[in-house]
Amino acid sequence: MSASRPPAPSAPLGRREFLRTSAVGAAGGALMAMLDARRVPAQTRGTSLRILMWSHFVPAYDAWLDDFARKWGEKNGVRVRIDHIPHLELPARFAAEFAAGAGHDLIQFAGQIFTGQYHRHLVDLSDIAAALEKKYGKWMENAKSAAQVKGAWYGIPDFYIAIPVLWRRDLFAAVGLGEPQTWEDLRKAARLLKPRGHPTGMQFSHCNDANHNWRALLYCFGAKETDPSGEQIELDSQETREALRFAKALFDEGMTPEVFSWDDASDNRFLASGVGCWIHDAISAFRTTQDTNPRVFEHTYVVPEVAGPGGFKWNVGEPNVWAIWKFSKNPQAARDFIVYLADHQREAMEASRGYNMPFLSGHYRKPMPGLGNEPKLAVLQEQYKITAFFGFPGPMSPPAQEVLTTFLIPDMFTRVARGASIEDAMKWGLGEIRRVYAKHKAG
Amino acid sequence: MTDPGGGAPSPDAYPVALRRRVGALGWWRSRTVRRCAFGYALLAPAVLYVALLVGVPFLFSLYLAVSNATVGDPVAEFVGLANFRAALESTTFYVALRNTVVFTVGAGVLKALLGTGLAFLLAQPFVGRRLVRGLVVIPFTLPIAISVLGWKWMFDSQFSVINWALSRLGLTGPYGSPDWPVWLGEPYLALLSVMFVNVWRGFPFSAIVLLAGLTSVPPEVIDSARVDGAGFFQRFRRIIVPMIAPILFIGTAFDTVFTLSDLSIVYLLTNGGPDGATEILPTLAYNTGIRAGALGRGAAISLFLFPLLAPAMVLLLRTLRRRQW
Repeated sequence: MSASRPPAPSAPLGRREFLRTSAVGAAGGALMAMLDARRVPAQTRGTSLRILMWSHFVPAYDAWLDDFARKWGEKNGVRVRIDHIPHLELPARFAAEFAAGAGHDLIQFAGQIFTGQYHRHLVDLSDIAAALEKKYGKWMENAKSAAQVKGAWYGIPDFYIAIPVLWRRDLFAAVGLGEPQTWEDLRKAARLLKPRGHPTGMQFSHCNDANHNWRALLYCFGAKETDPSGEQIELDSQETREALRFAKALFDEGMTPEVFSWDDASDNRFLASGVGCWIHDAISAFRTTQDTNPRVFEHTYVVPEVAGPGGFKWNVGEPNVWAIWKFSKNPQAARDFIVYLADHQREAMEASRGYNMPFLSGHYRKPMPGLGNEPKLAVLQEQYKITAFFGFPGPMSPPAQEVLTTFLIPDMFTRVARGASIEDAMKWGLGEIRRVYAKHKAG
Repeated sequence: MTDPGGGAPSPDAYPVALRRRVGALGWWRSRTVRRCAFGYALLAPAVLYVALLVGVPFLFSLYLAVSNATVGDPVAEFVGLANFRAALESTTFYVALRNTVVFTVGAGVLKALLGTGLAFLLAQPFVGRRLVRGLVVIPFTLPIAISVLGWKWMFDSQFSVINWALSRLGLTGPYGSPDWPVWLGEPYLALLSVMFVNVWRGFPFSAIVLLAGLTSVPPEVIDSARVDGAGFFQRFRRIIVPMIAPILFIGTAFDTVFTLSDLSIVYLLTNGGPDGATEILPTLAYNTGIRAGALGRGAAISLFLFPLLAPAMVLLLRTLRRRQW
């Protein structure tokens, strides 16, 4: 008789099983103890931690974070150095560090998410993700793909940037309009206000804003980039055609050709100058106006997002995600810093003047720092309910990332705005997007 | 038999048979061989430099171009010419290729014309010539990121100082009117604008190269030609250009390489937009290979620069060698 019997419930643990259970228990216990104590373990003392991240659009936040990190370092005996570089330069820096197998200990993906590309070379942070979720509530479902690959967390989402509608109440009132609720309301306002010298504008160019603005319009019109698995492209739809048709009308009736040349900051200046009747951008534009043109700021208001014809309301955020290279010389300190910063998320939000939006539901407790105490921005306190990210409803996968970085969707809209037929623009755009996905599928 | 100066006997001092033996055993001691060895030793650092910093990256990019490497997985499988086929299947690639040729040729011609004019002006004696010669190279010496950001502001759709000046002079309408130029927004204007910045930055270099050549032409040759009745253009074409041709060829070669591989100006001004109007092969390769992470395809796109550049370089260098020999 060689049939094996299932082990009895009271069977003693095997050596490997015992070691595995002990290790998981010890790591989890240590992490929980650390989270509670808010202090790093002794082995990181006397070490150094190098952090690579973008130059925040709110410079005060960088100053706050540098000071925050310095104090954390002093408290824990870790020398911390943060390198802030423009977000567009980050991908090249990541590639260079990876190729060299050396560089920063802690890196931040900003807007462009490389978790899918680099996950084999990143530290698994699933334990931190689980611990933070336990402590601060659920992670936003749409954001998980920014940090997860096959269920494991290779990054920890830090914050995302919301891209609401910033509109001028005085100008809208002058043409008999109130707070916009739909894209159609925005179009009407632009149509009526452009002849009065107050057009609107959304970038038809190769910049980040173009990517998230036109995606927001697409998603609000019910269009989808892919299926939820991210495998099938689903842009070839009536909803996409309607969004393109709407964009053409919006451009013809309410914009000037300058939008073809805009960069990420152009619409901020456009609003702050008093010319724009509404823009679709992060609240950095709101803050710029607050700082530079108080008269215009007085009449500038915020709407989280407007609805498309089917009632869909999707704001497209820009995610920022922490990750740790496997070749990091100090992964423990990097992990500790992520946790410590997550524990001070509310201070970070305050320092960013409401710009940093959290990924964990527990941080949406009202009043939210930087938002809740400002009546105009308080409307953003439930932004997580309507926030999607590129690739929606699919994940932020490598092919979705390539479609993003090669500006294929903004270019489809640009072609239509410039007079190409919707079918021609669709044929071109879908051809390019299918080619991208096919290449990734082929490996 | 020792040489009068003492020390080792000269091989010439030995009888023929002995000399043959010495020659067979100590060929490496001969003056020619030693001079050759010394020459190669002097050349070695340059060769090593080129091999390490040009040859190795070139071979690595060849390897990447025939692999499915990504930024997160550089050790990848061989995919043959699939990456090149992928580039050729994309319409964006052809737009980038066309723009690259227009950008390189257009900017090259403009730099040659302006550089020549400036070189002749700077060759004339006038008060403050040294100061002016120093000032004109400023665009070339400024960090490219700073100068391009300056141009970005000058081309701004709303606050462009150029537009405001043109508008005040009555040459264009006011801001918001249909004839207000949108330098980086209209496809042809955008391509012209990025070319203009490249020309602005590069033509002082062309001028300085040409000026160096001009100063090497003996003045008496020019004076003789003048006495013989040769006009300016005849002197330029028949005397100056042939005499400074090697310098001109080297300058052209450098300029073509710099222009063709210029990523910064387009990347910072338009990032290839709007709708690919200013997309060039370097920006497309960068956005595909680095920002999208598809290293193999990015490398394949960038390698299309090679067949564009190689014939021009071979032609220039062969012409240069013929003239030298």
